[in-house]
Amino acid sequence: MSDPRATGSARYAEDFELPGMLHARIVRSLFPHARVVRVDASAVPESCIVLTPDDVRDLSPYGCQIEDQNVLAERARHVGDPVAAVAAPTPEQAEEAVPLVEIDYEQLPAVFDAVEAARPGAPLLHETAAAGGAAAYFAMRPQPGTNICHRFRIRHGDVDAGFAEADAIVERMYRIAGAQHAHMEPHACVAHWDGNRLELWTGTQTPFSMRDDLATIFGIPPEAIRIVSLPMGGSFGAKTFVRTEAIAAALARKAQRPVKLVLPRSEEWQTLNRHPATVTVKLGARADGTLVASQTTCYADTGAYADCGPGVAQKMGFAAPGPYRIPNVRVDAYCVYTNLAPNGAFRGYGQMQSTWARERALDTLAEQLGLDPVELRLRNIVRDGDVYCTGETLHDVRFAECLEAAAAAVRWSEGRRGKGIALVMKGMQTPSRAAIAIERDGDDYVLRCATTEMGQGAKRALSLEAARLLGVDVARIRFPDPDTSLVPYDTRTTSSRSTYMMSRALAEAVRDPRGYGEIRNEGGLDPDTGQGIASTHWHQGAAAADVEVDEETGKVTVTHLHTTTYAGRVVNRLGAELQTEGSMIMGLGTALFEEVAFEDGQVINANLSDYATPSFADVPTRFTYELIEEDGADVHGLGETALPPVPPAVGNAVASLGIEVDELPLKPETVLAAMKVRV
Amino acid sequence: MKLRVRINGADHELEARTDESILDVVRRELGLLSVRETCGIGVCGACTVLLDGEPVSGCLLLAPLADGREITTVEGLGGDDPVQQAFSDAHAFQCGYCTPGMILTAKRLLEETPQLTEDDVRAAMSGNLCRCGSYVKIVEAVLQAANA
Repeated sequence: MSDPRATGSARYAEDFELPGMLHARIVRSLFPHARVVRVDASAVPESCIVLTPDDVRDLSPYGCQIEDQNVLAERARHVGDPVAAVAAPTPEQAEEAVPLVEIDYEQLPAVFDAVEAARPGAPLLHETAAAGGAAAYFAMRPQPGTNICHRFRIRHGDVDAGFAEADAIVERMYRIAGAQHAHMEPHACVAHWDGNRLELWTGTQTPFSMRDDLATIFGIPPEAIRIVSLPMGGSFGAKTFVRTEAIAAALARKAQRPVKLVLPRSEEWQTLNRHPATVTVKLGARADGTLVASQTTCYADTGAYADCGPGVAQKMGFAAPGPYRIPNVRVDAYCVYTNLAPNGAFRGYGQMQSTWARERALDTLAEQLGLDPVELRLRNIVRDGDVYCTGETLHDVRFAECLEAAAAAVRWSEGRRGKGIALVMKGMQTPSRAAIAIERDGDDYVLRCATTEMGQGAKRALSLEAARLLGVDVARIRFPDPDTSLVPYDTRTTSSRSTYMMSRALAEAVRDPRGYGEIRNEGGLDPDTGQGIASTHWHQGAAAADVEVDEETGKVTVTHLHTTTYAGRVVNRLGAELQTEGSMIMGLGTALFEEVAFEDGQVINANLSDYATPSFADVPTRFTYELIEEDGADVHGLGETALPPVPPAVGNAVASLGIEVDELPLKPETVLAAMKVRV
Repeated sequence: MKLRVRINGADHELEARTDESILDVVRRELGLLSVRETCGIGVCGACTVLLDGEPVSGCLLLAPLADGREITTVEGLGGDDPVQQAFSDAHAFQCGYCTPGMILTAKRLLEETPQLTEDDVRAAMSGNLCRCGSYVKIVEAVLQAANA
């Protein structure tokens, strides 16, 4: 018999139902910044329940890192900000009720660019700096009187002295467009109150963060909330923290009935996207290529609410210097509010943006120095035992191996016209906690843990690992959907941490007579100096690309894409291959065409026709990759590593043809414009 | 309206509105949940069904247009179909949300063109999107099924 995914019997959050449930829709702001003056629901049929700001006044503001968001907005801060909601016996009735809710607005000045929004005098989105949320794992540094909700810095050595020593200096500004996760299954949840207990079935990567945030919102103990994370039809960071769940729960509270909320496709672009960013990189080197100073300024556009933007900006910042020995490093990363839809976690988590900027700048520097880009990188590359600019010592370092393998894959030494290469150094959630309990049920073993399944294969990987450690057939391992009332606490299924962290907790559980295992990784950074431990475990990889550019249209065709990733010990071979292939393909979308386009704060391509994602036709004819394995080494998460180096490998390949593009995506019109100033 | 339609080999008389899609009808009336809406505009192929053997977007096919015709969803293939088996063997999925549509499109392609190259598969399947990016293994699965 075939896999449930092939027979049609696989079930997702979207399929979950409860008897007597109502179907919900959200009434959204039409303006990017406006005070809600009046909500009139008198035209809505009596069979519908309408949730207005009056109904949620007793609920607390929320936010995973900064509590700056209300369940319904009385001051809408982006087009699509939820202002009211309706629930009806059928989805069609709910849809028909939405335009019957009349809302009067008083428009306010808006700002749509992070650099502009960070300047003094820009319209402010949030007047007061709010407190940190439950999932904040570092101190927030809001800048009072500005839209900057978090500022992160690295101060290492003396960059001014470093640049004074440099024979060559490159300084450029890079812009990276926003992207939409476009997970194929929309956000979907069902909320139900049993007295004062809230039960919620939803597709989420973060069941415990969800529970804690909902406890804050409804003012009830976390133990009075049960979150069941159902399998997701893709997520890529989108199904994290509170998205639609608080509205569904507030509607269910008012209706005294279960409520299901499934987002229509177009509303995904109004719910969460990837941070657009502006990153300025300045690099200085001696004539022989030795790097002497690196200075990076990042502006991460987090949209109307912080969400996990402070964490994204911090990671964008601490990954910016990259896997190179640089004695003098300065990083300033800003997480900035704008009147765009919220931006949050997205595969690559901030590190894609700064990797694009740095790896492009390195090639420009190599050009200026007359050095081979691979040679320039190898001359400066970090080796085992080196100390990173955060002060932490790097172990099990394989960057040189990744770089050399990727260069060899595209026959770098036989001529580098049309070819490009890039490295990524990506952190993993630090600090964090993972725990698992193993239960015996007859001949079977049941894994109780909060690791969620979104297609990344975590259930399969951990089941295989459990079978190996217990010495039983994998068919005897059962892995029910995580239910916060039944599983021990785990930080989140994010940042490619689950196979690494949860497999170590699992090994502890197998050794423990009670079958319980818990693992923590400790660390964190001082936000003012960037000193400490950024990541207890670094993901390492390289990409190489071979491209052709159509001289007439500017269209870039990638004829060969290769990545080399350090995998350590591989737990689930097929899963490792699929995650690598998927990351590379998603990286191509980011490199070549994916862009959330706005006009006056309104997304103008909020459908899968105008917003294209890669198809079969976009996979390069030559598509290769290599996982560097090491017996007895740590397990290295592979969920994201092969994504961030792909765009700069492609950008550098295009630059090798004399076409310097500093903006992502490398869409034909951008490339064509760059060809006119060809060097 | 009463919709008379043969679905997965059985004749049905289903309650349907004239303005709704066959996607909504088969999900609601028959619980055929493998037919899934992603884009809602006929771009992604997640809602693919076979209408008299031809792949069509279930999200665009108005229910009355299926009256008197035959619909196949992946549930109707039984589970041991060579294409389903090939997808399982090649592990040609991650989240699996797009898989039923992929399998139905591949099934018709294999009936029409038993001798396939990699390029044929890519061209013919380009109307089905997989955001997880499992394309390489999907091509392998279709070629495996062709040679089965």
